[in-house]
Amino acid sequence: MVIEPIYRDALIFSSLLTLLSIGLTLTYLTTRVPNFAHGSFATIGIYVALTISRIFKYNVYYGLPLSFLLGGFTALFQYVFILKPLLRRNASINHLMVATIAFELILLAVLNIYADFLGRVFKITSRYFQLRGLDFQYAGYPGLLLVSPFLVVSVGLALYIVLTRTKFGIAMRATIENPSLAETLGVNADLVYTVSWFLAGGLAGLSGNLLPLWFIGNPDTGSFMLVSIFAASTSGGLYSLFGALLGGYLVGFAEVLGTSRLASLIGVWVIPYRPIIPLTVMVLTLMAIPRGLSDLISRIEAVKRWSK
Amino acid sequence: MIIPYEILFIIDLLASLSPYIIVVLSLNLEFGYAGVANFGKTLSVAGGAFLVGYLPGRLTSWILGIEVGNYVANSNAVVAQINTVFTVNPILALSVFILTMVTAMIVGAVLGFIAAYPVVRLREEYLAMVFLAMGEALLVIGYNYPELVGGTLGIMVPDPFAWFRELRYPATTIIMLLIAILTFIYIEILTKSPLGRMLRAIRDDEYAAMALGKNVARVRVKTVMLSSSIAAVGGALYAFYSGGVIATAYNRVSWTFWPWVMVILGGAANNRGAVLGTFIFVTVRKIIEFNKDKLAPYIPFDVVWLDMLLLGVALIIILIFRPEGVIPEKPIRTVKLRELKHNHNANI
Repeated sequence: MVIEPIYRDALIFSSLLTLLSIGLTLTYLTTRVPNFAHGSFATIGIYVALTISRIFKYNVYYGLPLSFLLGGFTALFQYVFILKPLLRRNASINHLMVATIAFELILLAVLNIYADFLGRVFKITSRYFQLRGLDFQYAGYPGLLLVSPFLVVSVGLALYIVLTRTKFGIAMRATIENPSLAETLGVNADLVYTVSWFLAGGLAGLSGNLLPLWFIGNPDTGSFMLVSIFAASTSGGLYSLFGALLGGYLVGFAEVLGTSRLASLIGVWVIPYRPIIPLTVMVLTLMAIPRGLSDLISRIEAVKRWSK
Repeated sequence: MIIPYEILFIIDLLASLSPYIIVVLSLNLEFGYAGVANFGKTLSVAGGAFLVGYLPGRLTSWILGIEVGNYVANSNAVVAQINTVFTVNPILALSVFILTMVTAMIVGAVLGFIAAYPVVRLREEYLAMVFLAMGEALLVIGYNYPELVGGTLGIMVPDPFAWFRELRYPATTIIMLLIAILTFIYIEILTKSPLGRMLRAIRDDEYAAMALGKNVARVRVKTVMLSSSIAAVGGALYAFYSGGVIATAYNRVSWTFWPWVMVILGGAANNRGAVLGTFIFVTVRKIIEFNKDKLAPYIPFDVVWLDMLLLGVALIIILIFRPEGVIPEKPIRTVKLRELKHNHNANI
């Protein structure tokens, strides 16, 4: 089976985007604030990959655990030291969003400082770099083409099992539905939030670690992807992890395939306008089905059940 | 005439302050009073600035009959020619300036409408995400479509105040400051009027306002349009002052996030606070910028990032410990009870 390069691009990009959109939805479900710093969690993974491969000369994939932990702890830091104090003071949603933007600025600054540091001290390309040559090959395909969808499937399965089959997962769903009621039943809501934020940051770190194996990494790569992540999560409905998964693949494929299709239809000049595609997806979703794909699917199922 | 260094600093400071004051006041109207979280402020600012890159040069060269050819490629030469004409023809220069400003306001309002219309009925977080994406989209267009503002290379802009000759910078600064003061007075009157009270009512309780017969969605769209047209004036002034437009200068950090920091720092729903916040923020940044070279030998990275890091931390500290800002929002000024009673008794 031959997979055309454009579909490889689409599959890899969508899988990495999905890891990010699942995380964004997870944090939104718990604290109800869209995290504007989410993209930069991925950039942390990007720089772990660069450090591991170029300075310590290890395989890029060995960076995955470290990326997961670093991304996770950064997200945890944001939740515990920034959002939690604000939530305790009953801050409005607007103030919470501004706080996530402030954290995004801090992350961007730190990542840029780190990139400068790598460039000056170790004399390596630390901006606009790519590690495509370092990936392994399997049956003529780049390793990432197998690893990235596999990672999404396993994360999806793991989340499904945890959320439906374990006590903690059920506690998590209860907290998401109604935090105060869950607390009266003895659920430690704060622990649930903490775990969710850690997981979200960790998944973003994983996605970032893999990103430079195929795409170009830079201190603002994650921040640049933010619009796509938002589009993926909102088109999924913002309240459903399954929706985030669907949305990630929808937006990812729409971005990559849509751009190439338009380029062959009306000319290559459209390629740089690619970021307009996720915006269009987001606006159309919000205008037509504001509760997203997951809501649409459950409604269709309800209609089917009813017509039987 | 040689202008001393200190005066230069003050002129530069005042010149950078004015566009920001205008943009921050517009954001305060939108966010502070009406509660619409516009995280795409750069959309309207860039809209105004891009118009300045697009319109006045082409228009004036058409009026003067200058042979242009490819305007984007020749903008340097064409703008130099226009400026020599502007030095002796203030009336033409001013008419072009005023016409551009009015068009910029219209462009700003249209962009505001496009961004607000699809999502104005939804909750704050959706609004915020869509506004942010809209701002990014306009930047992508400005950066990749050279016909608009020269793409990656940028474009030159004619100087409508060239006729002040060597006093050009101080004069432009004073004019910009005057426009900023006018904006302040306008927004101050607007927000103290019944309209301002309606905006606060909608912000505080959408449903109560609806029950009282206010068309919330429509008021919000109109507020965003008004605020965007004011922000476009800020962007246009900044573009005229800089003498050129390049899309990358209108990124979301400079024209969305910084104005947000200024509003929060000064105190939302409070125009004096917004101005004070702008003043503190811009002054601190200018001082850092002027002393950058002194710091550079001691740190192994670009000072820009230190600046960003400190401001991010400062913003979080303000949000946690003083979310109402330096000057908090004040209750609406109403007629004194004694006067009311007096009038009542007099009527009887």
